Amino acid sequence: MKKLIKYSLFIVLAFSSLSFQIQQNFDPNAKVKAVFLYNFTRYFEWPEKMKSGNFIIHIVGTNNSLSGELNKMSASKQVGNQKLEIKNSLALDASIQPHIIFLLNESSEILKEISSKYKGKGTLIVTEKSGLAKSGSAINFVAIDSKLKFEYSKANAVKAGLKTSEELKSLAIAVD
Amino acid sequence: MYKVLRVSKSYHYLKGFFSFLLVIFCHNYYAQSDLLFEAQRLCNEKKFDQALPLVDKIIVHPETKSDPASWYTRSFTYFYIYKQAGQYNTSKINELDTALVSCLKSMKLDTGNTYINENKSIIKNGAIYYYKVSTVLLQDSLNNIKSEKFYDNYKKYTAIIDPSFDFKPKDINYYNTTGGIFADMYMKNNFNQKYGDVAKYALLKVLEIDNKNISANMNLGILYYNQGATLMRMMDYDVDLAQLDVIQENAKKLFKQSLPFMIKVYSLDPKAEKALESLQGIYSALFDEEKANEFKQKKEALNKP
Repeated sequence: MKKLIKYSLFIVLAFSSLSFQIQQNFDPNAKVKAVFLYNFTRYFEWPEKMKSGNFIIHIVGTNNSLSGELNKMSASKQVGNQKLEIKNSLALDASIQPHIIFLLNESSEILKEISSKYKGKGTLIVTEKSGLAKSGSAINFVAIDSKLKFEYSKANAVKAGLKTSEELKSLAIAVD
Repeated sequence: MYKVLRVSKSYHYLKGFFSFLLVIFCHNYYAQSDLLFEAQRLCNEKKFDQALPLVDKIIVHPETKSDPASWYTRSFTYFYIYKQAGQYNTSKINELDTALVSCLKSMKLDTGNTYINENKSIIKNGAIYYYKVSTVLLQDSLNNIKSEKFYDNYKKYTAIIDPSFDFKPKDINYYNTTGGIFADMYMKNNFNQKYGDVAKYALLKVLEIDNKNISANMNLGILYYNQGATLMRMMDYDVDLAQLDVIQENAKKLFKQSLPFMIKVYSLDPKAEKALESLQGIYSALFDEEKANEFKQKKEALNKP
């Protein structure tokens, strides 16, 4: 009996140290956003002058999970023949001419400035704050029923100098 | 005269035949009794392997098969053969099965309770061995099906010895351990669903017994969350938008399944840091940033002096 008790204690001790926990180094939302951003590259056509060099995605604001996910994506994916390049800054960096600029929630207030600056230059403006597709961004992420979806403003995409696809409208929440 | 001669001849034939049968019968009878004594002698000398063929004979012979001593001797022999093979031996488990089945048979035949204590002693120790084997199978070979079978044997035989034995704490410990081991394997093996399913089964068993068990609720919550997260993690970057919607939907269901378990942990222990951290992660995965922040702040408040 003593042996049994000893053995039982051994088992309890052996397994009480198991550190089962949620996946800490992975953010599902960041992955979904990365997949969306990569998908958008298929539904727009960028001006000729932007079809050479790297395909730049510029994130304005702080989201380490998203930056990490996009950098991971850039290591394995390209847009046509263009390599993916991820840039991240806390504020607008005027020296960057990105193909996609993603204004994180905290950077939303510069949307007007951005849409004016990149008007007709072939930069897809993506945001993630309610109502911004009506205020200048072509794509705006929204959470509906615990899933990430996106609002799409064809008018803003055209203003940005991009050729658009009708197919995208059917997959999006159209705002115009 | 002819008739008399004929009768006489038949008589001699019959006499000879019955004499032969009597010799065979007596030989067999004494042989079987001798076998029992011989088997017992060999057991006393710990020559269990030699006793083995004898005990298998005495339990089928008409003269000894209804004798509780025969079945007890067989039980004793098989039990010690198993024991000699090593305490955690799983390859000789059939010997343990035979020993305990023989005990039950002996007890059934033993109307005078002559061998009751001896039989109970073997059953009690046999039950302990089943328990040990069930834990060894979990640890060493991750054979949860066999492990549970032997754990059930442990319960079955323990209940024979002590019908009022409360198995709840043992069940909780056993299934929590199984759940913990397989949840760990699930994580270490790139979130292999096979391990996740075993963990879920075991942890849900714990909650059937005690729905307030913190460990089982916590691990189930984490398990469901991780399954949802794994769907997302395994997704290729170039899945099309229609597929992305399906994957999001499936992951959402899993995140939502994880929520009640983690909320339960939180309600039972509002200061469980792991629960607060997990709730933050679950709500965030469900795009409920307000709730995610609420639990983030609660977690930070815990660490404030």
